[in-house]
Amino acid sequence: MTPRFSLLLFVMAGLVVAFVPLPVPPIAPQERTFRIEAGQFAYSPSELKVNPGDTVTIQLVSTDVVHGLYVDGYDISIEADPGQTATLTFTAGKAGSFRFRCNVTCGAMHPFMIGKLNVGSNNWLYRSIGVALLAVVGVTLSLKQKT
Amino acid sequence: MAKIVLTRNPFIKNALKSRYPQLAVFIVMLVGYIFAILAGLIGTPVGSHNFSIVFVWIAWWAILILVAVPFFGRGWCAVCPIPLPGEWLQRGAILAPPDKKPKWLNLRVPKMFRNIWLQNISFLLLALFSSVLLTTPNITGIVLAAMLFAAIGLSTVFERRAFCRYLCPVGGFIGLYSQTAPIELRIKDKQVCVTCEGKPCYNGSSAGYGCPWDVFPGGLTKNTYCGLCMECIRTCPHDNIAVNLRPFSADLAKPSTRMDEAFKAFIMLGSAMIYAGVLLGPWGTLKDAAYNVGSSAWFVYAIIFLAIIFVILPGFFTLGILNTKNVLPLKQRFASLSTALIPLGLMFWVAFSLSFVLTNASYILAALSDPLGLGWNLFGTATTAWQPMLTTVLAPAQTLVLVGALIWSARTAQKAANEVKVSSIPVIVYSLIVTSIMLWLLL
Amino acid sequence: MNRSEFLSRIFVITGIILAIGAPLVFWTRTPLIHARMAENGGWNPDIIQAEVGQPLDLKLTSDDVVHGFAVGQMDMQSVDVLPGKVTDLTLIFDKPGIYTFFCTRWCGLNHWRMRGTIEVSGSSADPEPASIPMYVTLDLDIDAPHESPVVPQQIPSAIRGQELITNSPILQSPDYYRSHSPYQAFTDLSHTTLAEPQRWDVVAYIWQSNTTPESLANGQQLYAQNCAACHGENGAGDGVFADDLAASGEASMQTMTGADNMMMQSPVDFTNPTRMLGASPALLQGKILRGGMGTGMPMWGSIFTEEQIWDLVAYIYSFQFKYHY
Repeated sequence: MTPRFSLLLFVMAGLVVAFVPLPVPPIAPQERTFRIEAGQFAYSPSELKVNPGDTVTIQLVSTDVVHGLYVDGYDISIEADPGQTATLTFTAGKAGSFRFRCNVTCGAMHPFMIGKLNVGSNNWLYRSIGVALLAVVGVTLSLKQKT
Repeated sequence: MAKIVLTRNPFIKNALKSRYPQLAVFIVMLVGYIFAILAGLIGTPVGSHNFSIVFVWIAWWAILILVAVPFFGRGWCAVCPIPLPGEWLQRGAILAPPDKKPKWLNLRVPKMFRNIWLQNISFLLLALFSSVLLTTPNITGIVLAAMLFAAIGLSTVFERRAFCRYLCPVGGFIGLYSQTAPIELRIKDKQVCVTCEGKPCYNGSSAGYGCPWDVFPGGLTKNTYCGLCMECIRTCPHDNIAVNLRPFSADLAKPSTRMDEAFKAFIMLGSAMIYAGVLLGPWGTLKDAAYNVGSSAWFVYAIIFLAIIFVILPGFFTLGILNTKNVLPLKQRFASLSTALIPLGLMFWVAFSLSFVLTNASYILAALSDPLGLGWNLFGTATTAWQPMLTTVLAPAQTLVLVGALIWSARTAQKAANEVKVSSIPVIVYSLIVTSIMLWLLL
Repeated sequence: MNRSEFLSRIFVITGIILAIGAPLVFWTRTPLIHARMAENGGWNPDIIQAEVGQPLDLKLTSDDVVHGFAVGQMDMQSVDVLPGKVTDLTLIFDKPGIYTFFCTRWCGLNHWRMRGTIEVSGSSADPEPASIPMYVTLDLDIDAPHESPVVPQQIPSAIRGQELITNSPILQSPDYYRSHSPYQAFTDLSHTTLAEPQRWDVVAYIWQSNTTPESLANGQQLYAQNCAACHGENGAGDGVFADDLAASGEASMQTMTGADNMMMQSPVDFTNPTRMLGASPALLQGKILRGGMGTGMPMWGSIFTEEQIWDLVAYIYSFQFKYHY
């Protein structure tokens, strides 16, 4: 095998690992409701797990000052004052792991007030680790070839 | 791959040789730096709307780690305003040729401090307080002012840029990572330097000052301690200094054997991972511990932080390379092989910063129009709402950066392993594991 | 010194002077009113001088979290005071006096301590005598327990009550409603032929007929913004600060008399019939007006108008009664 050909092979394999669609077991969409308490500077619970297609309702309860909740990737948000629960309902159409974060300045650590919404399993992480593994194998083999 | 001599271009050459373009940039930088100090001290205490926080920790940091260091190495040091007041004081002039007699004490930095351990310590000090530093304008103002005054103080006691070379918390890692950059300053012909009389590049002449970074350009083989201040271009009587475009990571082919640099690589690698977990993770307890400086939780955090950097990361690394049967001492193998962590660490920082910077870049527009939070609207952008940018491409970009880092690191490991005649596999496996952890933290 | 060196020095020094001078000049010329959480100092300044008829220009900014600004007993829309941003506001006072301004967005357990005063000087055309609150004229001890010895088995319904009520004009007068607790009304109905649950239904109707849907809606809004954080969104005394209040206990601010029997308490549960059916609107008005004097219940007298307090009182009873609307 020429080095160029093996490189091409590894790049192809990497693309396969990264992008080939997996068979998704059909899961009937559910309605899920989460009550999230927001306080300086954390959400509780801070990790939500839903299935793709679920209808997700987030009840945001602020326990000290005004907080917000913005979901990365979905670009939706709500704001809650203490004593006034805010509700956000959306369909979890995009699969993956998304951070949600406070979008109302709530004190010093506000930019780092973060939680995670996992829609389905975090496939991109596993694919990334797969690609990383492939890359390492590729580099190691290429050295063997040379020597 | 051949090098391209940038200074062959007369425009570039003249721009570097003349003092005025650099001086103009210096003045702008110094004014901005002083303004940032003041903004931190008198502006709004709300970090995300204060010039000091937004321009230092979002704008400057983004430019530094995403552009300046990867592409220009110590390019930032070439325009950094921190050493200037001290240096001008030290020389008694801004442009005028140096005096024969030193104006101040002009001492040599003691031998025991002529390494980057002080920089390792100063970086760690800031890192342990980073949650407060990154979010509190007046702490940022005080730290910026402290660096300026420390640089002035050291300039009056020691010769040259002692602060930059031995104390600056940022300079340490810029130097380490500048080895990967495609820019270098080198001599053209070694023979010219050998026969050169008086070595004006190091000792100064009527054309300019001796190397502020205490480096003899004739001996330069790596970027680490060359501050790209361009003084030697001005002083060299033989036109023997060139700025070259070269392949990335050229310096890494010659692994360092210094422990201070090896540990710098671990410090930076570990800090990037810890920041990714603490600042971008969903764990509130960690954030509280990191923020509440002085509390018992913070002490636990600090101990864990230091343990990860000085025990866990180097520990597993040592375990990995322990078994290789080799005549070279472990210390030397450790230092050489840790070279593989230099591109890896740099890219960890790039991946971490991408997330932080893209999320908060919209603050830059608002702070530009109202830098002090006094209700101004200088450019009509004061009401720009916070809005994360490019959220959909962030995760793929981070994967690309980290996988790229891993390949780069594996390649570097192979070269370093060749150098010390050991197998590169343990180092590559180590890199794969830490990269997977970083992927897990970020994605 | 040659010319280029001289010019360089001029540029550097001018730059430094500008970098230091310009922000300082603008900073000292912008008088901002800073809002901070009460624990960190509240409003600064917290006393503002103004003159009758003269516009008062205020520049408000927050140094930490979201706050709001409004002046008590004044017909004004509250404005948000956002971190790092400046809110411009112009007020005109047409009567002299001391006004209370306060934070309108919850900013922690001590949010309600974030208050300040505006001293408006000038002469007034017609000084109004302060009205004496009803609990004073009725000589009610608002700190003593007023419990209802009996409670209904089911939630009293104004709808059923309306069907049952015989024409009894006395019971429906606003004065009667304000000065009597539901339990007193319940006992006053004992001469009728109605069974106990029916009498409670009639009481519910009397309470409903003394308010309007608009008042209840207004009361509900006031309740959500000002009361729910402690008393709970459903009135059960389980608001987000309830635990903090109970926990802060003796560590809280001392009472006026230094008595420790009035330390911070858990917020009152408005769904508790024993407590609520024994309390008259006048008593509740007094509690809201005066506050708990050290229990953690704020004093609202200088903030709400009389009408707003009656609306709130009417709304609070809706946790006990099922209204038609």
